[in-house]
Amino acid sequence: MSAVWRVAALRGAIAFEAPVRPLLVLALLGAAIAATALASLLTGSYGLAWSEVAALLARPEAGSMGSTVVWEFRFPRLLAALLTGAMLALSGAILQGITRNPLADPSLVGVSQGAALAVVALIVLWPGAMPGLRPVAAFGGAMAVAALILSLSRGDAGGATLRFVLMGIGVAAFVSAVTGAMLTYGRLEAAQAALGWLAGSLHAAGWGEVRVLALVLLGLCPALVWAGRPISALRFGPEVATGLGLAVQPARVLLVLLSVALAAAAVSAVGPLGFVGLVAPHVAQRLARSGPGLHLVLSAATGALMVGLADLIGRAAFAPLQIPAGLVTALVGSPLFALLILRSQSRRTL
Amino acid sequence: MTAHAATHAGPGGRRAAALAGAPLLLGLLVLVFLWHIAVGAKPIPLGTVLAALTAPEPGNFDHVVIRDLRLPRAVYAVAVGASLSVAGALIQGVTRNPLAEPGLLGLMAGASVAVVLWVALQGPGGSAALPLVAALGALGGAALVWGLAGAAPGGVQPLSLILAGAAVTAFLGAIVTLAHLLDEQSFQSLRVWLNGTLSGRSWEVFLWGLPWFAGGLALAFVLARQVTALAMGEEVAAGLGVDVARLKALALAAVVALTAASVALAGPLGFVGLVIPHAARLFVGADYRLIVPVSAVIGAIYLLGVDILARVALAPLEIATGLVTALAGGPVFVWLVRARL
Repeated sequence: MSAVWRVAALRGAIAFEAPVRPLLVLALLGAAIAATALASLLTGSYGLAWSEVAALLARPEAGSMGSTVVWEFRFPRLLAALLTGAMLALSGAILQGITRNPLADPSLVGVSQGAALAVVALIVLWPGAMPGLRPVAAFGGAMAVAALILSLSRGDAGGATLRFVLMGIGVAAFVSAVTGAMLTYGRLEAAQAALGWLAGSLHAAGWGEVRVLALVLLGLCPALVWAGRPISALRFGPEVATGLGLAVQPARVLLVLLSVALAAAAVSAVGPLGFVGLVAPHVAQRLARSGPGLHLVLSAATGALMVGLADLIGRAAFAPLQIPAGLVTALVGSPLFALLILRSQSRRTL
Repeated sequence: MTAHAATHAGPGGRRAAALAGAPLLLGLLVLVFLWHIAVGAKPIPLGTVLAALTAPEPGNFDHVVIRDLRLPRAVYAVAVGASLSVAGALIQGVTRNPLAEPGLLGLMAGASVAVVLWVALQGPGGSAALPLVAALGALGGAALVWGLAGAAPGGVQPLSLILAGAAVTAFLGAIVTLAHLLDEQSFQSLRVWLNGTLSGRSWEVFLWGLPWFAGGLALAFVLARQVTALAMGEEVAAGLGVDVARLKALALAAVVALTAASVALAGPLGFVGLVIPHAARLFVGADYRLIVPVSAVIGAIYLLGVDILARVALAPLEIATGLVTALAGGPVFVWLVRARL
């Protein structure tokens, strides 16, 4: 995979070719997201024609039922889905870039489980805590588990990526068991609240979650713009990156922090949504090969589309029963994960 | 597994040591077994436990509690612990993969899905067919994982097996959750079981699993000798006159039977099959004729101990036994990866 990247990067650097295909794909992804958004706004137990929805979005009517449904339930939920999808995809793309491991994913390497443990501990041990503390706790938990996995998987360079994945599996099993024990220990109503969150459901997402997510994403935008360059350097391996003038160790630490922050914010808002961060960057790359900066944008759009669609399917497939979006992403994502294992080009990248 | 062959220091010496250690291990098993029965919401003195087991009095409340509630649970722990450990030992030997385990390789997830779907279709309350359903599911899960790992570049090797196991387990786990959401009724009855538990089990259910436990263990003991040869490499084994394909098929049958009966009775208890065979190898080396029986005994002791911990750690609450096995097994897995890769 890296060889292709190298060629693409060289071609871009020498010929200054305009990235036509990636931009075209981006426009198509935008159109698909818009279509998903429209379908999400129209779908639900309270029937609304699309002309009504359009009118309500343009001019909300205070007090009308339709306005409440659109503005208080469907619209924030849609935005939360798109934002979490974009953030998880960005997190996965960065993680895959720096570890040079095509199978790195925030949930596969324990970041989601760390955030989940911290949030469940907060809900169960301190039920009176403000909901605003959850993102902070999630970030702390995610960071701690990511640090644990990264330090455990240090070692001889050859098997480093392989160890990374295996350590993730082992530590994730342990952390999930602690979470489970915490749920047993907690009082029933606190455990119920935590269980609902753990399923990765968007049904409770409101403007509060959207605000936090949007703020985090906006705040991290400068970092994301910066991230493109070190990621493209790290793609060639740490030695080449050093040769290109990159301070490898600090850049790596900052990128891991960035990746964990994105995933932690998303997970703390809607619970663990598996496989989005793993699959979205690969889908984006299959749709259009591009430089790392544009790849991040394409990944974010793909992730937003994935979670938007997952939530729509979860709401519509067995209506009136709602399937959590996290379940849909797991059902779709794990076969794609299997496909990635099959397609991994050599034993080394495996 | 080559490391094991290297530590193989004189079969005679190992054998003598194992024979000397056997009474010790069995004595420990009896002690932990009695302790397991004595511990609980109401602690019962060991003397009463012994009396209840040897000369029960029908009117004695403690004796009734012991014989109807605590004894079945202890027997479950012994059977399931021994079965999962032997299954793990066999699968590690046959795949020559120190990280192999029924849970990590998708067998438990397959069995769980089959049981959940079966219960969703049949309604709560089990039947004697449950172990068979679980066995079919375990076989399906194993087929998926091996098929996937075999199709991956590099073929079946420790890492591709584990990754394929993770993918299949995630997918099957999502199906289980989906089935729960669609059928709340069976969800309630299965929720505890899905975490892996030994509580609230009856003699009747144990009898459903008994033929599977017995058959699987017997097959494992018979195959142990050939598995030792296979652990040295397929060419070596073939040179020693082992029919490798037949051995693998039989070993898989034993692993499936043992895993299926364990999952059907106690839910998915992860990492037991990973941890115990490695502990057994520390004592007896690379000979599967010793590893299999020693794994069975240590596994029984381990699960009894884990279940004691699950009941006393947060008393009066009870942690699902499967959570405790994961708490203990996760770090061992991490250690194995660090030591072996």
